[in-house]
Amino acid sequence: MIRGRMQKFLVIGFVIAFFVYLFGPLIVMGLTAFNTSNFPRVTPWECFSIEWFDVLMQDARLITGVRNSVIIGIGVVVLAVPIGLAGALMLMQVSARIRPWYYTVTIAPILVPGVVLGISTLLFWDRVGLMLGATEDSFFYDGVFLTIVGQATFISAYAMLIFIARLQRFDPALEEAALDLGATHVQAFRKILLPFLRPAIGSAAVLAFLASFENYNTTIFTIVSSSTLTTVLASKVRYGIDPSISALAVTIVFLTLVGAVIYEIVKRREVRQSKAQMAVARGEARRTRKQRSFFSEPAFILFVLIVIAGFGTIYFAGTVGVEECKIAVKEKRQAEIQRRIEQRQQQQMAESAKKAASETPEEDSQHVQDSKVTAKGTEAYQGIFAPDNLQGESASDTVEDEPVKGTEAYQSIFSPENLQGDGTQETEAPKPAKGTEGYQSVFSPENLLGEAAEETDAEAPEADTQGYQNIFSPENLTNQVQSQ
Amino acid sequence: MNITKFWREFFHKNGAAVALFMLIAVGVWLFMMIILPQAFMLDFSIRANVPPPKFGTEEHYYTIEHYKYMIFGSALSTDSFNVIDLTVFFRTIAAAAFVTLIDVALCYPIAYYLAQVSTGGWSRLMVLSLIVPFWINEILRAFAFKIIFGSTGVINNFLVAVGIVDQPYDFIRNDVALWAGLSYAFILLMIFPIYNAIESLDKNQIEAARDLGSPWWRIHWRIVVPHAKPGISSGCTMVFMLTAGALAAPQILGGPSSLWFTQIIYQGFNQAGNWARGSAYAIILLVACVAFVLVMMKVFKVKFGEMMK
Repeated sequence: MIRGRMQKFLVIGFVIAFFVYLFGPLIVMGLTAFNTSNFPRVTPWECFSIEWFDVLMQDARLITGVRNSVIIGIGVVVLAVPIGLAGALMLMQVSARIRPWYYTVTIAPILVPGVVLGISTLLFWDRVGLMLGATEDSFFYDGVFLTIVGQATFISAYAMLIFIARLQRFDPALEEAALDLGATHVQAFRKILLPFLRPAIGSAAVLAFLASFENYNTTIFTIVSSSTLTTVLASKVRYGIDPSISALAVTIVFLTLVGAVIYEIVKRREVRQSKAQMAVARGEARRTRKQRSFFSEPAFILFVLIVIAGFGTIYFAGTVGVEECKIAVKEKRQAEIQRRIEQRQQQQMAESAKKAASETPEEDSQHVQDSKVTAKGTEAYQGIFAPDNLQGESASDTVEDEPVKGTEAYQSIFSPENLQGDGTQETEAPKPAKGTEGYQSVFSPENLLGEAAEETDAEAPEADTQGYQNIFSPENLTNQVQSQ
Repeated sequence: MNITKFWREFFHKNGAAVALFMLIAVGVWLFMMIILPQAFMLDFSIRANVPPPKFGTEEHYYTIEHYKYMIFGSALSTDSFNVIDLTVFFRTIAAAAFVTLIDVALCYPIAYYLAQVSTGGWSRLMVLSLIVPFWINEILRAFAFKIIFGSTGVINNFLVAVGIVDQPYDFIRNDVALWAGLSYAFILLMIFPIYNAIESLDKNQIEAARDLGSPWWRIHWRIVVPHAKPGISSGCTMVFMLTAGALAAPQILGGPSSLWFTQIIYQGFNQAGNWARGSAYAIILLVACVAFVLVMMKVFKVKFGEMMK
């Protein structure tokens, strides 16, 4: 008995652990969207606010990306759904000998790595354009066109699988009857087959759009010089993160849930309608109850009410009193910083004089670090100049994103404990950051491999040299201070 | 003759307009989108790397230098093998296989629990809720892991607060975040095939085995696993392929010294500007993945069609 209970306990524990693994990261990410901290995190919690959603709305690159993603998504639906339909109809008709080959070739794009699909699409249309003598600005070199074609290659296969599942339940006798009764083939196709496939067409379109919207691996190669939501997101996430990305995730999750609820309601309604139709067809003399409209559905009304109440609460809590709270947090933080500086100044008095001269250029470069590199850079820096500070520094996380005013920043500029924090804050400036990475790797050769991976951003090819120049130009320092 | 008969029947059966639509759509898909692009990529990978205006000229000769480069490295280097690229390649394959194993180990018990043990609305809700994370962007999922595994993330704060470690542990640098993120990224493609396979298993079989005194591990080994084999193999194939071909998660979660093979391909295209070598590497990745699928089919003794249901 005890053993059985023990087993049950273990099983339940495993299931709970699994669901925590599944949802925990997403919930934490969602919470960070409402914290005013400049770095996405939950602890320490600063102030509840919705300001990151405003930041999101004002991000022009992101808006352009979303627009392109929607255009591409619609293009993929228009291309992939008919192709998937034709592919499924064809599968039903090819001879048994060819069928396995045909199936393998058409399903293969699902399994082929997205990177490979992107590259092959890019190369193929490049060559075709070259053969036809197309100019640089023709659609063969247009990122949106290439992305639609590249994504449709494998999304058509998804659509085909959906249509196959539905077609297996199709009764060909229906079509034959229509033809016998004098319908043309086109009429039979439009009036018999398409209505039967309508649910499948709907799900294929939704699936195609969503698959296109979240695709990254193929898109990154075929998009060339434009951008989609995913490529913008990827470059944002790689070169410095802030909670507006979490805010975007919250928005996406919310839209997905709304979509799922609406889909469920529509589906239930359709099922009920078809049941009513069946009843009528069977000749049951039941009065068809007047269909309630979609909007008077109780579930829908409840859902809308919950949404409105939730939004109201969040909006109210996220806008009222945020400023006061932020000021309070800032004061507390500054007091803390002040205390640390005083503590440190005593230690540093002795050596600061001889270090100040050599630190300045190095420090300057540290200011523009990407957060990941910063950690490393700081270590390297400390390893060289202040080995005894290493312990304390990595532990000090409270200063990571301090929004200190210009004077404070200036005061503490020679105190190494701010290096990490400044780096995190400066990540909005991608170009110098990139250059500095290259610079950084000069000093730590064991990092060369990693740095190379980080530098592959195609958007700023000349950034390396620029960063280099910036490091040694004195006005860079003033820029940094001002931007704080 | 056979073929003309086939076409005549095909047009007769579908009518000219519909037949034409099917032919054009399938033709465009098969040739313009699947076969020819791959063929062009293969062709591109076995030619010298020259700028586009010189395509088709004598300078665009056939060569296998890019494949040689993958194995032996550039002629200038002192190593006899291309250590960096080969290491990254084999590490990617091994890591993808490892992630696949982790996912099987995690998903099989859950799939079995959801399909056979739990019942009623609660279990339906759990199955439905599994889909939610799947519709969140791959990049955002990686981002979520970057947040919780960061040096001031939830996990580090917890570990420091409890006192297990006194310094924040660098999960990103030690690839813990990468492993967790990759296992997470495609876990649903593992759980659903296995769930579908186990769900179709008749409960009576399990009960009969139990009544006859079989221990739980033998019930799984002799009844449940053989029944779920197509689901397991299809889940393994998809997770392996997607993990080996992943780009976003390694870019975001990878530590400074861990490269993924796709990142090398990406560099070949966007940084080095060497498209020919990039496509040669893409071909290598493709061949490795196809080989993996064939091995899977051999090991599990399932057919391709059975696997892709």
